[in-house]
Amino acid sequence: MADTRARVVVTGMGAATAAGIGVDALWSAARDGRTGVGEVKLSRNGPNRIKIAAQVPDFVPEQYIEPSRLLFCDRFAQLAIAAADEALKSAGLSREEKLGARTAVILGTGVGGITTVDDLLYGEYVQHTRTSPFIVPRTMSSSAVSQISMLYGCTGPTFAVTSACASASQAIGLAATMIRSGAIDRAIVGGSESSMTPMNIRVWELLRVLAPGVCRPFSKNRDGMVMGEGAAILVIESEQSAARRQAMPLAEIAGYGTTSDAFDIVRPDPAGAAGAMAEAIEDAGLLPDDIDYVNAHGTGTVANDIAEAEALRRVFGERYSDLAVSSTKPIHGHTLGAAGAIELVVTIMAMRANTAPPTINWLEADPKCGLDPVANVARDVPIQAAMSNSFAFGGINACLVVVPPR
Amino acid sequence: MNVTDTRRREVEKQIIDLIVSEVKIDPARITPDATLESLDVQSMDTVMILMAIEEKFGVYVPVDGQIAEAKDVGSFIRSVSDHILSAHG
Repeated sequence: MADTRARVVVTGMGAATAAGIGVDALWSAARDGRTGVGEVKLSRNGPNRIKIAAQVPDFVPEQYIEPSRLLFCDRFAQLAIAAADEALKSAGLSREEKLGARTAVILGTGVGGITTVDDLLYGEYVQHTRTSPFIVPRTMSSSAVSQISMLYGCTGPTFAVTSACASASQAIGLAATMIRSGAIDRAIVGGSESSMTPMNIRVWELLRVLAPGVCRPFSKNRDGMVMGEGAAILVIESEQSAARRQAMPLAEIAGYGTTSDAFDIVRPDPAGAAGAMAEAIEDAGLLPDDIDYVNAHGTGTVANDIAEAEALRRVFGERYSDLAVSSTKPIHGHTLGAAGAIELVVTIMAMRANTAPPTINWLEADPKCGLDPVANVARDVPIQAAMSNSFAFGGINACLVVVPPR
Repeated sequence: MNVTDTRRREVEKQIIDLIVSEVKIDPARITPDATLESLDVQSMDTVMILMAIEEKFGVYVPVDGQIAEAKDVGSFIRSVSDHILSAHG
């Protein structure tokens, strides 16, 4: 049966990551294997033992946000606005034109304004300083989407999706589904996260999933992930909407799959991840053999990488050991609720460049993973279809498949 | 027995004490061959044990391949003490 649903195309992308501001900075770092991980800079000392993270360098929010608005913006919203400005500009849209009721704003975030919460508690309990009256609008997880809706006059559906590390992929997938259904014509989508506080690093440490030294996904001797902050925003719209305004599509979002393990709050079940991948590939009208590159969730924890490798093996069968699969998390960090968006931007850029970015810091194969992670150096790969994976605590899985624009 | 062996034994003894107190197991059951499964030590318990180890030794121990794959008490204790000894020299 012919697929009569509207095609969904990406017409703009923006990023604010540890690689710097902009999609070009993100992609060149990913392609060249240049890490944004460094000594973590925090606003106060705290109990964290891990002292490394991937933070957005030299970010000056005043360049993007006027002072009266900045009062209401936690750093996660600031990064989202910076990324949105680039995305909208590259889509040929601006703050001057109101995008109206047919444009949605749907972003993922894991923890929303947690930096503001840390400042609030420190100020109240320790310093006894005056509390800002604007804590609520800064901390709410929907703060970033509301700010973007106001900046761009988007009066359509506006909400945040929160599903830990699957948040952004689910936000993008859901918005694409809404466009296909005809509910909206266009959406500003993606994800944003900034949770760089001593306590937040500490609580991740306590789960024993942070690498004390180097994050090396799928490698032997890996011992955890590296936390990151950042935002990536994409403008997606129906093919007709893009054609009407002669916008040039960068990619098509062809497939989306999401599943739940219904198993454990922190341990992954490969069945759920495999199900989401299979669903996304089928939704794109493709077969596993059509996928040329996978940007893995690849956190670098022992548990994720073994489970993801097993899930890939189930989906790709004999092709598994030859398929180009990489994790770019050692470059931009694990940005949690923003990960799916940042990695989808990397995936689209990889497809456009026919280049699989590398998994850096890789030492040697872990027999329990046994896959080819495009070790350490980028590889030329003709890419006609690519997939980005996001697998979250709580067993929530979300995968997106992209193809070149037709 | 050299100094390193003595030190390792001390550390391993302290780790056993921590396992006993965190997981509430009869110390007599903690033998090197006892499987973690037979003692009903789950991943949640591992996280609690590693937190207690960090408090006692001041060493951050992530879940690496060795710890994740440890099936019995002996290999778990060996993996954890490797971290502690390499941090403390």
